[in-house]
Amino acid sequence: MSIEKTPASNRAWASASIAIAAVLFMSSSILGLVVLPSVQGTDPFTNLWDSICSAAGLPRRASSTDPVEPDHKISRVVLSTMPKAEADSVGRGATIALQCAICHGPTGVSRADSPNLAGQYAVAIYKQLEDFRSGARSSAVMSPFAANLSDQDIRDVAAYYAYLPSVPTNHASTAGVPAIVAYGAPLRGIAPCGSCHGSVENKAGSPWLGGQPSAYITAQLNAFAVGIRTNDTSQQMRNIARQMSKDEIAQAAEYYASLNPDGL
Amino acid sequence: MLNSRRLIIAHFWVAFSVFGLALILGAWQMFIRSPLASWLGNPEWYYRSVTAHGTIMGYVFPTLVAMGFGYAITETSLKTDLIGRRWAWAGLGLVVLGAVTAMVPVSLGKASVLYTFYPPMIGNPFYYIGVVMVVVGSWIWVALMSVNLIVWKKRNPGAVVPLAMYANVAGSYLWGWTAVGAALELLLQIIPVALGLRTTIDAGLARVFFSWTLHAIVYFWLMPTYIAYYTIVPRAIGGRLYSDSMARISFSLFLVVAMPIGIHHTFADPQVGAGFKFIHSAFTAVVALPTLLTVFTICASVEIAGRLRGGKGPFGWLATLPWRNPAMLAIAFSFLMLGFGGAGGLINMSYQLDSSIHNTQWITGHFHLIFGGAIVIMYFVIAYDLWPHLTGRAIASMSLVRLQLWLWFIGMIVTTFPWHYVGILGMPRRMAYYDYSNPALSDEAAPVVMSAIGGFILLASGLLFLFILVRSHFERRIEPGQYTYAQAAHAVTRVPAALNAHGLWVALMVALTITNYGLPIMQLAVRDDTSVPAVFVGERR
Amino acid sequence: MSVEKSASGDVALKIERRWAAVSILIIAFLTGMAAYAGIHQAVMPQTTVEIINPTTLHMTGEFIESNLGSALEPDGSVTVRAVAQQYSFTPACIVVPKDTPITLRATSADVVHGLLIQQTNVNTMLVPGYVSVQTAKFEETGEHLMPCQEFCSVGHEGMWAKVQVIDKPQFLAMASNKRRLSCAE
Repeated sequence: MSIEKTPASNRAWASASIAIAAVLFMSSSILGLVVLPSVQGTDPFTNLWDSICSAAGLPRRASSTDPVEPDHKISRVVLSTMPKAEADSVGRGATIALQCAICHGPTGVSRADSPNLAGQYAVAIYKQLEDFRSGARSSAVMSPFAANLSDQDIRDVAAYYAYLPSVPTNHASTAGVPAIVAYGAPLRGIAPCGSCHGSVENKAGSPWLGGQPSAYITAQLNAFAVGIRTNDTSQQMRNIARQMSKDEIAQAAEYYASLNPDGL
Repeated sequence: MLNSRRLIIAHFWVAFSVFGLALILGAWQMFIRSPLASWLGNPEWYYRSVTAHGTIMGYVFPTLVAMGFGYAITETSLKTDLIGRRWAWAGLGLVVLGAVTAMVPVSLGKASVLYTFYPPMIGNPFYYIGVVMVVVGSWIWVALMSVNLIVWKKRNPGAVVPLAMYANVAGSYLWGWTAVGAALELLLQIIPVALGLRTTIDAGLARVFFSWTLHAIVYFWLMPTYIAYYTIVPRAIGGRLYSDSMARISFSLFLVVAMPIGIHHTFADPQVGAGFKFIHSAFTAVVALPTLLTVFTICASVEIAGRLRGGKGPFGWLATLPWRNPAMLAIAFSFLMLGFGGAGGLINMSYQLDSSIHNTQWITGHFHLIFGGAIVIMYFVIAYDLWPHLTGRAIASMSLVRLQLWLWFIGMIVTTFPWHYVGILGMPRRMAYYDYSNPALSDEAAPVVMSAIGGFILLASGLLFLFILVRSHFERRIEPGQYTYAQAAHAVTRVPAALNAHGLWVALMVALTITNYGLPIMQLAVRDDTSVPAVFVGERR
Repeated sequence: MSVEKSASGDVALKIERRWAAVSILIIAFLTGMAAYAGIHQAVMPQTTVEIINPTTLHMTGEFIESNLGSALEPDGSVTVRAVAQQYSFTPACIVVPKDTPITLRATSADVVHGLLIQQTNVNTMLVPGYVSVQTAKFEETGEHLMPCQEFCSVGHEGMWAKVQVIDKPQFLAMASNKRRLSCAE
């Protein structure tokens, strides 16, 4: 065996293969970038150069044409921008939180069917207080309190409650978990509660539910279901609450309330 | 001339052990999401398992097979000692270390992002760092293959590079370059975010980078299989390789056209222009060329074997083929699965047809049929063929080998055919459970049960494979003689220099990557307003 | 290609070339088919890459909550806007008229999702930061499931929405007193 190593043979192979590759690329480019976009004719950019740029994938900013405005205040909270709490935030938050103790308990554990805040995710508290303040969520009790807080106050309070030791939760066996909590209801678009609320995974802004009063959870799910409460981002929670039956709401509420062993 | 036996056996054993583990996970996944099992109380376990299964089967197992086989080819085809054996051990060490590093956070549930990564979901940094280590370890192999070939060429001026080595080095270059896409995604985008150095990431750009790797990696997986088609099977069944130059052309073509086609994985994505989708679609059609050439050459080579054994007439040669020979059995199965899988692939590569099955169970069925079926069954043949040469002992039982191959083929068909079918019904992939009690999904229940049964057949076959390999270590000693490769039917007298070297093809591969990926990557990479906040997974109480 | 100059070698070479030519023809045919379909049928990838800030979708622009759902356009076509997020689509039930050109505009608020309407060709990825656009036409009334087809973290298995195709007059009646329609409530 030997290698055919004449300059002519080398050149022939190189030029032939480069030529084939070039022809392939050029012809598919012309078809894909020029011919197809122009015959499709659905392109909003009229001239040829624009349509080539479009076909090549040059990004353009989505245009918003006269959207329908909402009839209620919407949440202005961008969940991803929550910075880390400063070191002295917890101390300042403790002072502000004195006014919260009457409902939410001096240690953040409520005796009045208000939510327990001790050990709650800071982002969740921040979002709700901001929404009370902006009017995206309204409550006869909470709205006046929130109206007097600055953005920094809200961060501090959130940091303080997140810092407190959480409600003790007994680890109930999987057997005791109602189906709606453990599995959701896939074809009604209900994911397992824990996939956002922390036992499987926590999504920014979703509260920890373990040990929350049953009455509070029931009231909120009902409020989401009928659209009284609308501060969930892009209907995230309304989509789920609307699909839950009265029984399922009761089961979920009872289950989460039961995770508080003291039965407060 | 097989002096690095321990090195090669180490590669194969690590590869096949992790393969066995991932196979168990796969069978469990098939079972748990089928109507046979009750719903998982914690869906995260399922995604954790899929992440591990995909990472092992996609990145670790085939890479180690290609590495071990590559070292074996170097020594047996060049008839010389492997240069850089210590480096090779270091490469293996890095792959193993990387795999462990990646699997620790995955098994703790800290990185259930699946092996496709898909930012802005971000898991534990050690998962990604582990994957990078696996890739870097395999790059040592790429370098060693190149060095060994260069040194051999210097020592043997004017000699023709044996086909097996030519193809092996082509495969290593393909991997070296195709891994760059995922490496860029990991190093420039994901790992900085996972380490907390940045908080935003361009999810669209990441998908483009990943598509760079995603398709050509399949051809890297395919390389050992094609090398077995061309250089092992004809010899093992007593035939001749029909054409040596056609084989070289096929491997060169793979090197060139496996790369610039990856965007067909992003047909349904919003961040790539329609024009580039068409260009990649056209190049995807071209990649069928080397496969069609291979089908022809191999069928002709097998026919030669049949005729040499006395087969007459247009179909008589089929009857005289050595069907009890595992290599014959496996290549027939492999071709059948490649044919079905290839037909499915033609549907995926067409934008219009793809939209009805994109990201459904069809896709999972498709790549399991091609990779798990057509490709992996030839990995078994490679192992069976090399084992006596590596251990100096006979293969434990040929009838067990045949049983194992049959089970794998039947298992793969039973698994993937229903999988394709439910895909057409629109069943989405990668879900921990499905509500089969709902009338809209009840049609999918029976096929899913069937494919779960196929999964168990595959598991049985895989375990049998490991059993045969283990038992063969304790068989009687034999003198396997020299390891040889298939002879060409018509003695090769002269080979064009272009088909004896890789330079031209590597240059074309890089050039076409730049033309087909340059713009789609650049126009996103230069912008900072396409980045979105990372979503960290694995936070729980 | 250089092979031994022998009669059988020549035959082999000839057959090889013929097969290569057949292969090339097959490929040319496939590519031609794709181009033909692109020219004569509407199913082609979206024409423009559109970018959008996913963190402010709920506050401003076309994906604000009150603007989601189906909108009747002046030209009689219908534009459907939807947002995907962990783990639901909004609107969770999309209502469209049959025999009407539909333009679907959708995007993701957090991670990569996918949108697939069963029994149809509507199937697109939703990548945060980008707007996906797809056209469709439904020829029969009825209900379709619309699952998320890409893994979007641990609640992915619960992300299913619905599409209702209704008669055109019924849709027009609904559209006469409401600008954005859905069947979610």
